[in-house]
Amino acid sequence: MSDQEDQRPVPRDDYSDLVGREFPGGSYTVEPWRTWLVADALLDDPWDETPHPVLAWMAGVAGMGMTWDDLFAWFDARATDGPVFGEHRTTLHRSLEQGATYDVSGRIVSVDRKVGRRAGAFDVVGYELDLHHGGDHVARCYNSIVFPRRNA
Amino acid sequence: MSDKTAPVEVGTEVPPLEVVVDPEKMKVMAALLADPTPIHFDTRALAALGMDERPVNQGPLNMGYLQTMLARWAGGRDRLLDFRVRFQGNVLAGDTVRGTGRVTALRDDPRGRVATCEVALEVLGGDVVLSGDAEVVLDDQGGGQA
Repeated sequence: MSDQEDQRPVPRDDYSDLVGREFPGGSYTVEPWRTWLVADALLDDPWDETPHPVLAWMAGVAGMGMTWDDLFAWFDARATDGPVFGEHRTTLHRSLEQGATYDVSGRIVSVDRKVGRRAGAFDVVGYELDLHHGGDHVARCYNSIVFPRRNA
Repeated sequence: MSDKTAPVEVGTEVPPLEVVVDPEKMKVMAALLADPTPIHFDTRALAALGMDERPVNQGPLNMGYLQTMLARWAGGRDRLLDFRVRFQGNVLAGDTVRGTGRVTALRDDPRGRVATCEVALEVLGGDVVLSGDAEVVLDDQGGGQA
């Protein structure tokens, strides 16, 4: 085993104490270059100035005030463990606007340890992100991440 | 073949969308998302995890394809109200995916005529990798016709 392997964080059996923990939060501006590149990455029309709805979730994660590695570390996981998405929901109360800056807040809403016949043990972590603009609640995104716990 | 002039009703099928998944777009998305997960761009990391060496498409790209399909049908990217999906499998670089949708309910609300649709994304020759439902407000100028 390598030194890197020796330094791997050891997952706990229970992370329910993290439910309700708020992200630091921040803001995200839907810059025109972001609208363009996101549409192009999706093989959609990059010259359409209406932001693609997937930017609601992207604004949330970019403005939550911490990195993916920070979030993974809350659960003693790393990007190299192969975390994947479980479920997602985006609710848009208003359309996104190019050039608008959104205030972002969010929190952990659930943590569940599960065991699959093929996958073995894994943790499903749910979190939600809210976008506000000018006092209006523009969007809420829920997402869950599945963290493999191969040695749990 | 769908009838372009037929009114939308329960059972109407959303025109499908097919996309060939390009690994270079995954790299752009990884940068836009500041996503350090190497399975989206690093083939050596994939091999170390015992996975297929083709990079794994990001979840936001997969769900974005379905949102694009719905937006084109409904009359614009600002037409999506709600979108809920479950991720059921991986999409790999080079795969061709096909998004499909079908109207399951219609209602009128202050925003206009709202269609609820069941949606799915499948890898051609493979499995359904994403499924769920969505709500879109239909374009009163004719968008959202079958």
